Amino acid sequence: MILAIAALLLTFFVIAAPLAANAEGAKVMVRVSPDTVYAGERISGTILVQHRLGTTVAVELPDSLALSPFILIGRTNTTKPFSASMTEVRVELELAVFGSGSQQFPAFTLAFFDADGLMIGRQEHRTDAQVIVKTLTSPDMLDFRPLKPPERPGFPFRLLLPILFGMLGLAAAVLLALFLVKRKVRLFAETVDPSQVAGRKLRRLEGRLSSGMQPSECYAELSTIIREYLERHYHIQALEAVTQEIERDLRKLGVSSFETIMTLLRQADLVKFADSRPTADESRNSIRKAGEIVRSLESGGKG
Amino acid sequence: MQHAEGLEELGREIAAASEFLDRAEEQISSCIIGQKQVIRRVFIAMLSGGHILLEGVPGLAKTLIVRSFAAAMNLRFRRIQFTPDMLPADLVGTMVYNPKDMEFHPRQGPLFANVILADEINRSPAKVQSALLEAMQEKQVTIGSNTFQLPSPFMVLATQNPIEHEGTYLLPEAQVDRFMMKIIVDYPTYDEELEIMQLASASGPLPEIRAVVESGDIALARNLIDRIYVDPRVQRYIVDLVVATRNPAAYGLPLLEPMIEYGASPRASIFLLLAAKANAFLQHRAYITPEDVKELAFDTLRHRIIPGYEAEVDNVSTDDFIRDILQHVQVP
Repeated sequence: MILAIAALLLTFFVIAAPLAANAEGAKVMVRVSPDTVYAGERISGTILVQHRLGTTVAVELPDSLALSPFILIGRTNTTKPFSASMTEVRVELELAVFGSGSQQFPAFTLAFFDADGLMIGRQEHRTDAQVIVKTLTSPDMLDFRPLKPPERPGFPFRLLLPILFGMLGLAAAVLLALFLVKRKVRLFAETVDPSQVAGRKLRRLEGRLSSGMQPSECYAELSTIIREYLERHYHIQALEAVTQEIERDLRKLGVSSFETIMTLLRQADLVKFADSRPTADESRNSIRKAGEIVRSLESGGKG
Repeated sequence: MQHAEGLEELGREIAAASEFLDRAEEQISSCIIGQKQVIRRVFIAMLSGGHILLEGVPGLAKTLIVRSFAAAMNLRFRRIQFTPDMLPADLVGTMVYNPKDMEFHPRQGPLFANVILADEINRSPAKVQSALLEAMQEKQVTIGSNTFQLPSPFMVLATQNPIEHEGTYLLPEAQVDRFMMKIIVDYPTYDEELEIMQLASASGPLPEIRAVVESGDIALARNLIDRIYVDPRVQRYIVDLVVATRNPAAYGLPLLEPMIEYGASPRASIFLLLAAKANAFLQHRAYITPEDVKELAFDTLRHRIIPGYEAEVDNVSTDDFIRDILQHVQVP
């Protein structure tokens, strides 16, 4: 897979001139990379020469004038044996390229020497390898080529993603916390027994009565305690209901202590609305009676 | 338990003085089948000096109830059919020229009676309606330069038909507010209708209503009603209910806030208290309870609450508002 990609890239970026054999039996190959650049950019050119063992080959480049529009920046030569009878000379060139349009790789000369260092041949070599040079101006440098306006950078939505995820996470955490708190409160409220609440309130009321509370006030509170208890115990609307409505609801439910509850509520109504004045003992009795009702209803279930 | 001494005595007086209402109710019931609640509301309005707006489709014995009531209570009854061409003078009276002494003399209109049935009040233009409503408020009318007191008791029962609005003049809110109660007269039950049919199809005449009230009974009743005890807790409950129509969110009803355009006026509190006292009197009690208030809340509040656009869109009636409020305001 990697090899295939490498091969594709090589085909795409590298234009390779075929190995050409010359009179001295040397094979020459030229490679240029990349094949398209902007004016002034650099390219690397590779000249490979494979020649017979026993001879030496020198690659001679033309002078800078003839090299135009290329300018030689750097050059390295390496020689290594290629096979039992062949040696390979590799010349790596770093060139800056100018001009515009298709530019032919410059021609170069191969000089052949024997083992004693005497030149035995000389040959100019031209290659098909070329480089496309793009410029921002016309060749005469007078007109600008139409420029594609630079794209404005888009809003960096990706940068927002972490914030968005963070907020969503926070909201989810808050909702979860609320849900858990609500559930806990509900579970707690369900565990609180209405009879316990009523019993505690009645004991407190009796205590306040003993410490000088007005009996008429005591009846008003007693009525509220009984209504609250009935509301929670039977799930009826008792705090916003008048005595007649409570009577109707309790009758429907078939409550066992119906008469006693109604007597207490009616007595409380007389105190609250008809200016009746109970004594402290009567108030105490009513509180005890209310306590008995709560206990009896609790032991007898919900009806 | 020691009961308030004055109240016990007042309770006994009320029990004795309110007997005439039981007799009158019995008389009316002899020719009116059902509609007990309407009859009781008419008693309440009469005892507390209020007026009633009756709303119901034709044929529900509205006129017969009022006629029978007036007859049983020994009161002078006049029925005025309101029409579009009516003038205020047709109600209150006018100055009539007498050729004998060559002078103008006031001639009293049909308004000079104890019980007025203003039939289809919304058929007359605003000037006639306002002439009637002014008389209801002031209990007097002026003809020319003479001012005449209207007879006491003076009570107007106006009817309007809820289904026909073509060619009618809707009563302005300010004028509707002067009615103590707006009563919706509903259809009779199945059994009641059966009885009505049998009674109406009998060949003999309808049972005659006997006057069972003596002069002074109503005045005495009104005097006793004034003395009925109203605990501050009940007073606060009444005010809570009325204020809840203006500011429902404060009473745990935020959903009603955009639905009510205008809540009930202070007249609502006054009339609700007066009606509750009269209701207690009807039940031979010397004190009022939240039951009295709750029982009359619909009739005294329904025409004083102006529903908003949202309520009309959602088809929510003023009775729905009152029901919600009664279920949310804590009873003392």
